[in-house]
Amino acid sequence: MTKQTLPNDKPIMGKIVEKWEECFETYCFKIKLPVKVQGAKPGQFVMLWVPGEDEYPVGIAGLKDSILEVGIAKMGPGTEAMHKKGVGDLVGIRGFYGKSFTPPDDVNHLLIGGGFGMTPLKLLTETLMSTEKKQNIHVFEGARSEDRLMYLEWFRDLHNQGKINFHACTDDGSYGYQGFPTADLEIFLQESETPSVIYAAGPEKMMKAIFDLGRKFANVIDMQMSLADRYMRCGFGVCSSCVVDPTGWRICVDGPIFNTEKLEKISDFGVYKRIETGEKKRI
Amino acid sequence: MSLATKIGNITIRNPMILASGVLGTTYSTLNRMYEAGLGAVITKSIGAKSRAGNPNPSVFALNEIRSVINSVGLANPGYQIFREDIEILMKNSTPTIVSIFGENKEEFKEVLEGLKDLSVLAFELNFSCPNTEMGGAQIGTDPDLVYEIVKELRVKTKTPLWVKLTPNVSDVIEIASVAVKGGCDALVAINTLKAMVIDIHTKQPILGYKKGGLSGAAIKPIGIRYVYDLYEHFGDKIPLIGVGGIFRGEDIIEYLLAGASAVEIGTSLGVAYPENMIRFFQMKIKKYMKEQQFGSINEMTGGAHR
Repeated sequence: MTKQTLPNDKPIMGKIVEKWEECFETYCFKIKLPVKVQGAKPGQFVMLWVPGEDEYPVGIAGLKDSILEVGIAKMGPGTEAMHKKGVGDLVGIRGFYGKSFTPPDDVNHLLIGGGFGMTPLKLLTETLMSTEKKQNIHVFEGARSEDRLMYLEWFRDLHNQGKINFHACTDDGSYGYQGFPTADLEIFLQESETPSVIYAAGPEKMMKAIFDLGRKFANVIDMQMSLADRYMRCGFGVCSSCVVDPTGWRICVDGPIFNTEKLEKISDFGVYKRIETGEKKRI
Repeated sequence: MSLATKIGNITIRNPMILASGVLGTTYSTLNRMYEAGLGAVITKSIGAKSRAGNPNPSVFALNEIRSVINSVGLANPGYQIFREDIEILMKNSTPTIVSIFGENKEEFKEVLEGLKDLSVLAFELNFSCPNTEMGGAQIGTDPDLVYEIVKELRVKTKTPLWVKLTPNVSDVIEIASVAVKGGCDALVAINTLKAMVIDIHTKQPILGYKKGGLSGAAIKPIGIRYVYDLYEHFGDKIPLIGVGGIFRGEDIIEYLLAGASAVEIGTSLGVAYPENMIRFFQMKIKKYMKEQQFGSINEMTGGAHR
């Protein structure tokens, strides 16, 4: 029987069946889960256990035939330990956790992000493309340089096939235009006369800039942003390590995707995040 | 019919208290849980200095037994920083109990001294965390140390002191008795049970700290037994607060009948809608009181002993 989702339980052990270097200091993995499962939604995450090393939240890039795809950027010892894993190795998976993106119909879908944030946006792109209705999808990706653009080939292929519009940029101009992804987004919004929804994932400071930009445009009817880049312990709402003030929302269950209405209430958004001690640190 | 309950000389609007370690990292979740309908809330255990706690994995569910294992290990920002959160709670008039811990007597004193001017409902002394080398259960299993600490803290504050007991002792009455002798105002039973999970495929303990503590439905009958035993021994002499595995309103009633004046709820609130859980708990208690013609919570306390 195929389960719609995994039960909230101890890590189940999946076997790495594929590994590739996606871009600078970033590896992608396909992990075969030992149970038949489907229904991972874009924006949701899993807790990835690298046995004996660490456990942390990672975005879901794909799930097909019980094979989970994740992308891991080097962020510290825990992610480096994962980078050392290879085909045949076992890692633990808990999830799927959190609320997903909820794209409405009849809007321009504007996906924007950078770095590891491209992981949930990849699954969102796939999900949008698989709907019966033809969707107007724009993906805006930014990175420091060409070798750091995640899923560059994948998005470029889709662009060339006319399935999406891919807008890439780099800080050094080595690929796409030179600058931040918000520049192209702003041009699009200035020119567009139809309603748009912005979906963002990546560094929180960047998302705050996107949020502030999006608020200036009346044709942006909603923004949905992933605050998953937070320190987490449990992933299912019991420990409150990831809580934001002043609302008391837990990123792991009340998020990680929050819409405009909610983001406006989170004073921590783009300003503070919590560290292991529970203390708040400026982003 | 009233849901209000008396614990020594304090009264709270209903017997449901948020247990320490759950949803208590910041003022905002504590406010949220109080506004959702709890009678009072308890902060995450606060110590003398900031602590990162143990490495991950440090919390995960055991679905089969509706329980959670954790080895968080007293992660907290230290009382000087957390004081600001308590001040916001006071401004919001949220009935707050502050859980405190120390690696030794001196640290307990330092934390209490640093927070005692705040008008909190009580201090809960955490003598029972199983996930740390120093402090926690290593204090709570030593009757001399428990007595000394409670006695010394007692003279420093008029705020009620609650002692949270560890179930990981052979004679809980012995530890409870010295806590009462030292001058505590209520006994809280129980903290988590020592536990462990090993992954058989990689042959590795799953928790980063390897060992942890178990909470949730699996420990409820154990908690009931401890509260029953304590009530059997102390009767009305000291108020008891029952904690461990409350997932339904019936579980709360069971703790009250065993001898508790109030209960602490933790693990079961780790869901998408804790507000709904709290509403269900409250509805069940009211229904039971009506059916059984109880006018107050304190009338139910110890009902199973008569």
